Amino acid sequence: MKFLCVPCDEAMKIQETSGPEEGSLTVTFGCPACRRQVALLTNPMETQIVRALDVKVGGGRPATDPMGFVRSTLASKRDEASAGGEPASAGSACPFTSIANAAFESQAAGGGAIWTEEAAQRLNAIPGFVRSWAQKGIEQYARERGYPKITIEVMEEARARFGM
Amino acid sequence: MKRYREIAGDGGSDVAGQVGAQQERLRARMAKIAVKVAVASGKGGVGKSVIVANLAAAFAKRGLKVGALDADINGPSLAKMLGARGQRLAFGEGGLQPPRGPLGIAVVSMDLFLPDDQTPVRWTGPTEGEGYLWRGAMEVATLREFLADTEWGDLDLLLLDLPPGTDRIPNLVPLLPDLHGVLIVTLPSQVSQLIVAKSVTVAKEVLKAPVLGLVENMASHVCSRCSAEEPLFAGEDSGRLAERLAIPFIGRVPFDPLLSRCADDGTPVVLSHPGSPAARALSQIAATVGEALRLPPALVEARETR
Repeated sequence: MKFLCVPCDEAMKIQETSGPEEGSLTVTFGCPACRRQVALLTNPMETQIVRALDVKVGGGRPATDPMGFVRSTLASKRDEASAGGEPASAGSACPFTSIANAAFESQAAGGGAIWTEEAAQRLNAIPGFVRSWAQKGIEQYARERGYPKITIEVMEEARARFGM
Repeated sequence: MKRYREIAGDGGSDVAGQVGAQQERLRARMAKIAVKVAVASGKGGVGKSVIVANLAAAFAKRGLKVGALDADINGPSLAKMLGARGQRLAFGEGGLQPPRGPLGIAVVSMDLFLPDDQTPVRWTGPTEGEGYLWRGAMEVATLREFLADTEWGDLDLLLLDLPPGTDRIPNLVPLLPDLHGVLIVTLPSQVSQLIVAKSVTVAKEVLKAPVLGLVENMASHVCSRCSAEEPLFAGEDSGRLAERLAIPFIGRVPFDPLLSRCADDGTPVVLSHPGSPAARALSQIAATVGEALRLPPALVEARETR
């Protein structure tokens, strides 16, 4: 996919990428001549297809982590197959390790989780520096169990599971 | 206004370069493997994985360094049949150090990554209802990574156990352009033979790799009491089918409950019961395939002196 600035007839260049956020990747292109910008916003399907290519939008060195694609995209896997090579939860002294892994997996998974008002309020009460991790970990937990929405009860379950 | 092909590059991602780097990594890894053979079928349930496990064992028994890759991402069974299931995964700087089956056979399978018996392969991603759009791409990426990111070492032979069906065979084209051959497994039933003919066509026309030949599994049943041998299915003689498809007929493997029992135990029958009719048939098939692959003379010699 390429972008052309029609008034300048110049190929646009990638300036910034961000996400995936709720399954959408944002790629900002700019025209080197007139500085006009456009943003490409992928839908979750498009994000996943890019992901399946195992390439990095915006460029950069290809991942060298052995089996990094399989280890980061399998929804459920053995502990030693978790990205990073070490057990994600079993044997880990840090309860946030598994949350972090779940969060990163969730980030690429595309969110769209429905939070009840009470659950959202409780989420907002979590300190900001861990809120994003907690949110994504809980969403991953809910998705894996097929919960249609995240309630206080689901949060309690996840909390017990992660030892938060 | 400029057209697509008049614009160089893709704006900065260099996706082509990244894919090229992946391909180079794969090529470098595969360069150390002397011979690569895919084993395919038409229908599922023809015993293809059992054949792969036993061929791997038969070649290893004859002194070859062998690897076995389970390319059936969603229905992996090879690790179980080669006794590698449950072994701990170890990652080194060079990649996954493959679990080992009997006689040091290197085994890689999705089964080794899954946490338990009940867990299927599921990917993090958008809703699974839309997965039909991207699941195939995830499987190809997985297969590429299994090939490229495993420390196979200097193998004499890598056997790939393909999933059933004709649709997955073309996936090998970008991954293994130098595939040495495809072995086709069928049952002597009309239904199996109907589909296997399609696989042969795909292998010939899309893969452009030599079809090494046709193996007939569950060819007959030998009564354990009176030793009478009788056919299990009423299909066309597979030898004639091979002739009709213009491919070599490699051999027949009789139905033998031992095969299933040994697969469950993780020890191929050619190693645990080498004198059984099934083991003898499989060893003969390995010998014929070895000849077709023109294995290095020293290895053939080693095989013949055992």
